[in-house]
This record gives sequence, structure tokens and C-alpha cells, in this order.
Amino acid sequence: MNTNTRGRPRIRGAAMWLLLLELRIPLITLIITYSISVLGLVLIPGVTPEGVVYHLSFLDAFYLVSYTATTIGFGEIPHPFTPSQKLWMLFVMYSTVIAWLYSIGSVFAVLSDPAFRRLRFYQRSVSRIHEIKHPYWIVCGYGGAGSQLIRFLDQSGVRCVMIDSDVTRADAARLSASSYELDILVGDVAEPQTLVDAGVQRALCRGVLALTDEDQVNLTLATNTRILAPRVPVYARSSTDANTRNLRSFDTEVVVDPFRVAGRTVTQLIRKPNAFALYHELVDPDLNQIEVVDVPTSGHWIICANGRMAETMVEAFVREQIPFCLVSSIAPVDQGDWSWIQGIGTEAQTLREAKIGEAVGIVAGTSDDGDNLSILLTAQSENPKLLTVARRNKPTSEPVFGQGHFNFVLREGRIIAQEMYARITTPLLHQFLGQLEIMPEALVGGIIEKLNLRLAGERPELAHFDLTLDSEQAPGVIPFLQTAMAPKLGDLLVDPGLDYPGMPLICLLLIRLNGDLVPFPGEGLVLAEGDRLLLWGAMGADRRLYFLVRREDLFESVLSARRLKST
Amino acid sequence: MNTQRVWFAFFIVLALTLNFGFFVGEIDNPHHHNPYEFFFALVVSLIATVLKIGDRSHLGAVLLATSLVADLQLIVAAVMWGYATQVTGEVSVGVMASVVSLAGGAMLANVTSVVLLIAETIQLKR
Repeated sequence: MNTNTRGRPRIRGAAMWLLLLELRIPLITLIITYSISVLGLVLIPGVTPEGVVYHLSFLDAFYLVSYTATTIGFGEIPHPFTPSQKLWMLFVMYSTVIAWLYSIGSVFAVLSDPAFRRLRFYQRSVSRIHEIKHPYWIVCGYGGAGSQLIRFLDQSGVRCVMIDSDVTRADAARLSASSYELDILVGDVAEPQTLVDAGVQRALCRGVLALTDEDQVNLTLATNTRILAPRVPVYARSSTDANTRNLRSFDTEVVVDPFRVAGRTVTQLIRKPNAFALYHELVDPDLNQIEVVDVPTSGHWIICANGRMAETMVEAFVREQIPFCLVSSIAPVDQGDWSWIQGIGTEAQTLREAKIGEAVGIVAGTSDDGDNLSILLTAQSENPKLLTVARRNKPTSEPVFGQGHFNFVLREGRIIAQEMYARITTPLLHQFLGQLEIMPEALVGGIIEKLNLRLAGERPELAHFDLTLDSEQAPGVIPFLQTAMAPKLGDLLVDPGLDYPGMPLICLLLIRLNGDLVPFPGEGLVLAEGDRLLLWGAMGADRRLYFLVRREDLFESVLSARRLKST
Repeated sequence: MNTQRVWFAFFIVLALTLNFGFFVGEIDNPHHHNPYEFFFALVVSLIATVLKIGDRSHLGAVLLATSLVADLQLIVAAVMWGYATQVTGEVSVGVMASVVSLAGGAMLANVTSVVLLIAETIQLKR
């Protein structure tokens, strides 16, 4: 009997049911007092002014009781009452008015009961979610990462359903300025029923983002999703290696460990500033410019961190062979051939021991924002030329960290949001970012140079997008593929206007139909049907490109113009 | 024994018996149909409806539906009767017949209710 309960959202209208249940006794009280009052009025004889004895009809009696109970009081009808009628009316007045107030009071008591309101809000959200007509993502947890990611997704018009067990955080989400409607469910994210209510089993659900601060909860979310909706991808936050391995063991699509990403990001900033700049432009919708930080290649770094942050940071620095000195209060478990100094780093003495005068940079990565600020300010006064990397723990500290005092700020929520956002909005980017990590720095520098060449000195806002060469997205290009015209990649990057100038666009990655990856393809590459391209360039160029690939005549003229030029 | 079940069954059966008492007699003869009995039938039917609210099982839903049908039929009959006595001033044979036949319909709904109640009780093997 219960086999089909899987996959059904909680019964709708249950709030109404609860209201009726609560009102059973008031309703019965009301019916009984009304009926006794009516009956008495009908049975007690009245006398007309002419002295004729009469009985009130049921209609008159019900009318009288109704206006008495609601304290309207129209008076004695149809004739002035006899003393016996007045006596009965006294009973009617007190009993029905009290019964009426009692039932109305019960209605309001139930309606204003916090539990009832939560239930009603929950059910309204569930039915709204199940009526969504567009693809949506389920974001679990409105912490630093969740709020940031929802803001990113909202900006690009991706619909989200948010689950959080905390009422105050849900209120914060409701009050946040988002242009799209955000559906909020206040419930325990670890409960499978909450996931079902959030619409995980609907065909429109594109994925579940497990972003709570607790690894165990994220793990439960991932397993629940695997079983409830096997086709729905899960993107999870994980803060330990063991948990990451666990999540990967059942093919969780994306696992983001903010500590590992932080380590990778800082070493990337030092060793591959070009890749660092390109990465951040691509993954952060708030960052629309390429800014390459000039980092001296020699000299040592000071890392002030504890716990997991210290571990991942040290691991990344060792891997990239960057000399460093760790400042931490607890001795590292396995120390290699690098120096360690006990302390927090807030005192100048500790920093001097770490040879701050000769250092190129410092990473303030403790889990206390006050300490981090103190470390960096002390360090800057000791060595003003120092490069500074700050870790911001609490979103509320943003006003001090966001002032631009530091070269780079590590924000945990933002790190996770960036990693996931890029993969949600542009699937190709996911593959490109994998390539970027192993790409030599010179090649990345070349690509940025190439774009700058195409931008011709201007500094427009940058954006990326993808394009698939199929009959749906590029009907204007398809007829020329595999003909003598042989359209090349360069033909797409042409403005279909006067003189056919080049568009401020470059192709970052091309994936063939058979899965072959071509990173940074040259402009002479011959296109084929089914190619998927990741393009990057000035914002707005995507619309001109989409216009070109839809129009067969335009594309033909672009092809013949290229031929004319070459001959 | 459950007091709540006693009241539940009491009102459901009372709704049927009162309804039946009003219904029996020549269909168009006002002397055979007591208005007070009708009044009680309506009141008890309303109470029975409220008592049935809250049972979310399938059977509970059907029970509630039969009660709502009975209420509807009885309220329509009451409005007709009241209109005839108060507005037109006389209860014609046709109006009386309609009132009684509406009450007869309500009785059928009440019979269904009682049958369901008995069926449920028999299923409880105790």
C-alpha cells in the first residue's frame, strides 16, 4: 500500500485540514448553542399588540439568533417580547455571543499560530515549486556559499529553489534583493521528504547543490538525491579529504573543497598569474575585467594559518615549489624541509622571525577575521612592498576586506559559488577549467594577448558563452559545412558589418562531436557539424555572433569576403 | 470503549433515524411531517459533518462526503419550506412533496454513511 508514497510531495491543503480539525469543538459548540436558542424561541409563545398568541417561525428565530450572536442586535421582532421571551433572550445573548467569540477566537488563534503559518508557508512553497515551468536548481543551505551562488544565478536568470532549516536565514533569503522569484522551503535538508517537496524528482530539476556547512549533511543530501532521482547531478561542498573521497565514490558530479581550492588559488596567483586572472574572470560574474597581478617569482612567502587551511596551503606550496615559512600556533604533523614558527602572526616579533623583510608575500589564513586583519596590517607596516592575501571568514566582515587594501581576498562562500556557478551556466567551461589547470603559463598569456589584440585597446566588460553548431543554434552555418567553402573558426569571429572587421571574441575550447578536445583552437581550424565552442570576449558580442550563425545569406557573404581577401 | 467513537456513531445514527422519522408518511401531507423533527434532523446532520472532519483516511473522506450531501439536501429543503411559509404564505402540496423528497434524498446519504460505519466496524476484528 505504501510503495507509491515515494516521489509524492506532502499532501497539499493539509494546512486547511489542520484548521478544520482545530475548529471541530468550536464549530460543534456553535451549532448546539444556535440550535437550542432557535428551538427555544420557536417554542416560547409571544403575544401580538392585539393580544393574539403566536409562535416565532424558524426563519424569524434563526434571524434573531444570528444577529444576536454577532452582537448586531436589530431589536425585538416581529413584535415586542413578552417577559418569558425576554428571559429566554437573555440566555440566547450570553450563550451565543460567548460561543461565537470563542469560535472566532479559535480561528484567529490557529491562523496566527507560528507552526500553522510555517506549515501554510511550506505548502504554498511546495505547490509553487511543483508549478515551475522552467528548469531550476535546488540550493541546499543559505550560508556564505548558498547566498553568493543564488545571487550569481539570479543575475544570469537561472531559477533556484532554496532549502534551509533555519527560519532567520530563510527570512534573509526572502528579503535579499533578487530580481527573480526565489522559492524558499524551510525544512530539514537532510530529510528525503524535504528534497522531494523541493521538486528533486521533477524533470525540470537540473541539479542539487549541497552547500551546507556540515559535511555529513551534504553527504546525506548527495546519497538521498542519488536514490530519489538518479539522473539529477549533485554538486557538493566538502571540507575534508575523507568526505570528498566518500562523495566521489558514488559519482557525485562536482565536489568543491574550499580549502583545496584556496591553496590552489593562492599558488596559482604566485606561479601562474595569467591563468589566475583568466580563471577569475571566467568563474566570477562580478569580475568582468582581466587583471594580471605582477608577482615576483623569487623570494619566500609567509603563511599564517591553522588547521586544515594550513595543511592544504602547505601542500599546495610544496607542490608548486614555492619557498615559504609557516606561522601557526600548533606544530605541523609532518614537517618537510621548510621552516615553522610558533605564533599567530599578529605580533611583529613573530613576523620578523619569519624574515618578513625579505618576504614577497604573506597569506593571513586564520579562522578569525580580526587576527587576519591584524596580521596583514602588522606585516604591511613591517614591509610595505609585501603582497597580501587575506582570508575572510564571516560575510559580515566584507566592508573591511572589500576596501582593496589587500591584493587578494579568499572568501570561502565565494570560492565555492564561483566553482559551481561556472559549471552550472556553461557546461563547456567545466571542461575548459580542467584544461586550464594543466596548461603552461605562457600559453595562457598568449591567449590573453590575443584577446587584447582583438579588443584593439578598448577595455569592455568580458563574458563567455557557448555555441553548438547544430541546426537549432546555427542554422545559417550548417549548409556550408563539408562543402568546398569549408568554413573555418575564423569565419565565425567576424562582424557581419561593413568591411567585415574581426569581432572582439576568441574561442577558448572546441569539442568535436566524438569528444575530442581542442583547447585554444587556431582560426584556421575547419568547423564540423556538432562542434561545441566555448567563446570569450566583449559582452554583447554573443548577440552579434548568434545573429550571424542564424542567417545563411550573411554567413555566405562572410565566407566569400574571406575568399576575396585571400586571393 | 472509546467515548469519541460513541459520540461519532451516536450522531451518525441519530441523523439517519431523525431523517427517517421526518420522511415517513404521505409525501404531500403536512400533518405527517413534523417541522421540529426536521429541525433536529438538520442540526444533528451538521454536527455529524463536523465530527467527520479530521479523519484523513479514504473511508473518512467518503463519510464526510455523504454527510455533506445530506446537509446540502436538508438545507435546500429548509430554504424551500421557509420560503413557502414566509414569502408565499402557504405550503402547497407540491412544495411539501419536494421538501419531503429532498429529505428522502438526504436519508439515502445518511444510510450510506451508516452502512460505511458498520462495514468499518465489522472489519475491526476484535
